[in-house]
Amino acid sequence: MPSPYSCDVARREVLRLGLYAGGLAALGVPMSVGGIARAAEAAASGRILVVVELSGANDGLNTVVPFRDDAYYRARPRLGIRTDKLRKIDDTFGFQSTMAGFERLYKDGSLAIVHGVGYDQPSFSHFSSMAYWHTGAPNSGSAYGWLGRLADGMDPLGTADYLVNIDSHQSLAVRARSHVPLVFDDPDKFLRTAAFEEESALRAVVASREVGNPTQRFLLEVANSAENAEPRLRQACAEYRTPVDYGLVHFGLDKVAALIAAGFPTRIYYVAFRNNAFDTHVQQADVHARLLTYTSDHIAAFLHDMDRIGRADDVGVMAFSEFGRRVAENANLGTDHGTAGPVFIAGKRVKGGHYGRMPSLVDLDDGNMRHTTDFRRVYATLIREWMNHADVNAVLGRDFETLGVFG
Amino acid sequence: MTSKDDWVDDLDPIQPADWDRARAKHLLNRAGFGGTPEDIDRLATLTPLEAVRRIIDYEKVENDLPAFEHSGVYDPTLKVFPPSRPATTRKAETTGEAIGVRVKPGGSRRMQPVVDRFFFWLRATALETRRVAGWWADRMVSTDRPLQEKMALFWHGHFATGADKVRDYRKMLVQLELFHQKGTGNFRELLIAVAQDPAMLVFLDAGQNVKGAPNENFGREVMELFTMGVGSYSEHDIREAARAFTGWTNDDLRFKLDEAKHDTGEKEFLGRRGNFDGVDVLNVILDQKVTANFIAGKIYRYFARDDLSPVLQERLGAVLRENDYELKPLLRTIFLSRDFYSEPSVGTRIKGPVDLIVSMCRELGVKRLPGVPDFNSACGELGQVLLNPPTVAGWAQGRSWITPGMLLARGNLARQMLLPDMINFVDPNLDPGPQIREVNNRILRGMSVTAATSEENPGTGMADDRAMANVLADKEDFNTRYGSLNGWREAVRKVKPSLRVPAQFSLSNLVLSAQPRTTTEVVDIMLARFLSMPLAENSRLALIGFLDNELGTSDIGRAETYMEEPLRLLVHLIMSTPEYQLA
Repeated sequence: MPSPYSCDVARREVLRLGLYAGGLAALGVPMSVGGIARAAEAAASGRILVVVELSGANDGLNTVVPFRDDAYYRARPRLGIRTDKLRKIDDTFGFQSTMAGFERLYKDGSLAIVHGVGYDQPSFSHFSSMAYWHTGAPNSGSAYGWLGRLADGMDPLGTADYLVNIDSHQSLAVRARSHVPLVFDDPDKFLRTAAFEEESALRAVVASREVGNPTQRFLLEVANSAENAEPRLRQACAEYRTPVDYGLVHFGLDKVAALIAAGFPTRIYYVAFRNNAFDTHVQQADVHARLLTYTSDHIAAFLHDMDRIGRADDVGVMAFSEFGRRVAENANLGTDHGTAGPVFIAGKRVKGGHYGRMPSLVDLDDGNMRHTTDFRRVYATLIREWMNHADVNAVLGRDFETLGVFG
Repeated sequence: MTSKDDWVDDLDPIQPADWDRARAKHLLNRAGFGGTPEDIDRLATLTPLEAVRRIIDYEKVENDLPAFEHSGVYDPTLKVFPPSRPATTRKAETTGEAIGVRVKPGGSRRMQPVVDRFFFWLRATALETRRVAGWWADRMVSTDRPLQEKMALFWHGHFATGADKVRDYRKMLVQLELFHQKGTGNFRELLIAVAQDPAMLVFLDAGQNVKGAPNENFGREVMELFTMGVGSYSEHDIREAARAFTGWTNDDLRFKLDEAKHDTGEKEFLGRRGNFDGVDVLNVILDQKVTANFIAGKIYRYFARDDLSPVLQERLGAVLRENDYELKPLLRTIFLSRDFYSEPSVGTRIKGPVDLIVSMCRELGVKRLPGVPDFNSACGELGQVLLNPPTVAGWAQGRSWITPGMLLARGNLARQMLLPDMINFVDPNLDPGPQIREVNNRILRGMSVTAATSEENPGTGMADDRAMANVLADKEDFNTRYGSLNGWREAVRKVKPSLRVPAQFSLSNLVLSAQPRTTTEVVDIMLARFLSMPLAENSRLALIGFLDNELGTSDIGRAETYMEEPLRLLVHLIMSTPEYQLA
């Protein structure tokens, strides 16, 4: 059954409009005068979006467990989590026992769970599916990411350090036409290495000066951004002190907190849980439980920390994975690549609760759940409801209905 | 150089009177990977037509390059390699054998040798792919036919095929040979050959494209990314194209048409009807005007500049069409055109990571790719892993190469090239990462496989978890983590080591051959050698001051016996400028 958000339909419709992502990127993001005014408005509100990528395909069924559904236990006789081992959040769903952080957020009303998020004609390749999520445009081969386009739309002038990506490599999600994302992993490695004697000459030759062609100007801007950001970035991270425990694996939100506390003008942060960690094909029970401990501890700690420094109202966090896993467990006590999964949106301004519809575990498509919410509806929600940016169309190539997560 | 704005969009050839050293350097930067002042002089003394012919008609140039030396990791039992570890063990479970290894009749971990074998090939082909990439980069550094390599690099980005999915370095090598052989020939021949290329067939799931259940992956990409660009066809055309390509598959390193899986029925494609097969579909695509425009435009953007007016694109497309998709007439038109030498075209292209490293070597007069720094790691840090493009759309090119961190990393790479740190160098090909290293060390200390592969450090983990892991391990038929270690061990024993030699060059000799007397002259010689545009005067003065200070004199005659290290620092400073990133 094609869903109402079928990518086929999307593709055809958008082709008619001549705005499909590839073309969109080539044309540049259209920006009306009204758009600029709205962008200025949003900038004034100062809201910050933090996107967390759980790479490797998180097993959503063992994250938010539908413990009332017998089909779940039938499909997972060995991996299914018994009710006595769950942190029940209501009569239908429970978290893994290791997810105390998420349970706290949920009970505080700060966690929205969007069920069954995916897209039509699912790809089972980590790589392709992640590219779909990154671009917000399945199958487009778009050169820019959805967050890059969002930044370009909200801030056409390309403010420095507007986009920060904490990872060893720049994600396609933040690739922008008019922004230079600040990308770093270890702030101590965001460093120009040079001999002691070179220092003053180096400062002179990389600093800004009169310029020739536009590419040269661009490079000088980036060079200045690097030279300026380098000490501030390392200083912000080195000096940040917090009593909050960010858990066993610090995959980057502690650095986001440091930059926010240091007053960075960043509006969009992209943080990745590294190394395809969630790809739990084999003996997943322990590993998966641990990964969820790290994730839930880290995200809950971050929001707690934001509350501590008085910025909780300004921060919204979204956590996603490129797809879920198959409904049935495999022979190796693990799970293989699947389709839909839950997306989490957390923050003080979030209206906590369930969104979307949990897919059936019986009416399957070749062993996989049928997605019930297109992932771009989640994006549209963040773009319009959270970042107050009206022009969803320019970011996603067409409009999508929002979910009402932010009140 | 007297670049003129009125040369913009002018495809008329530039005249001998307008030909000079700066333009010869521009041609060599773009059609190749730059070169030494001597290389540039050789082109500058020719007429523009002769210079462009020397670059394009490279078949006449002697070029004795070494063939790739296989390590010998492949044997025919690997020909049909299962798609995943679970698929491997499933096959072993049902047939008692997989990838040439039989299941143990008894004892512990009966399927461990099968799993070891699976991980061996994953690692071996990945390492061998890095060797292929290094071999290719070495060709780029040493070749006397730079355009052949530059076009191969273009097609690799255009028909972007990733070795991580193909999982067979031999197929990547076959595809690369295709780009080397047909990269400046006829686009029609190239397109058909790529569509039937084993690496491409595997990469875009040709095996799953069968009559009755077509997989649209190739049908979509061939139009969207390889020929027409988005917007010139419908979803219906994609489905019909996919039908025409059904049954196209590979038998190891050869194209094979599986007749039984090929849909011979009538198709309706781009407004035409017929019992099309894959080649027919490609020919219909090539009949579209938009295809020639798309390809010509992309080639122009690669060599000349990003912004291309629709009118100029149309005219370049016409050159390709009028020559029945022969590429050389188009390349000749571009390289000779006044537009190519106009102001917006010169010194405006950001070198990609591979381009950057190769041109560093060529400008330094280095004849072989150095083993330190490691080419693949250096490129990876700058965002371009050769033979593993990020998506089927290739690399985004241009400004997307540059982030603040990447710019710092480019300066750091220049330092490694000029002042390689041999004392701390460790071959990254021998580094399996902390996790496998830890398991290896535990096994070497005599721990059991179960204990060695448990997630937590003994004594530090949660007791429940460890107990659970141990319970499972005792019942297991194989241990994945142990298999991963065994795969690594076997692969690094078999894959040929790379020669870890730093670049050999003498900046003192390079400089002295021009007989400079002062530090000012030395700085100007170096700036002319390494930059394609003038540096701001205050930067130039800072460099002269730096060199004076390091040499303790501005008199080169006095300093020539000890100036190598200061000169290397000077070039590091020059290569750290934003201007050095431009060609």
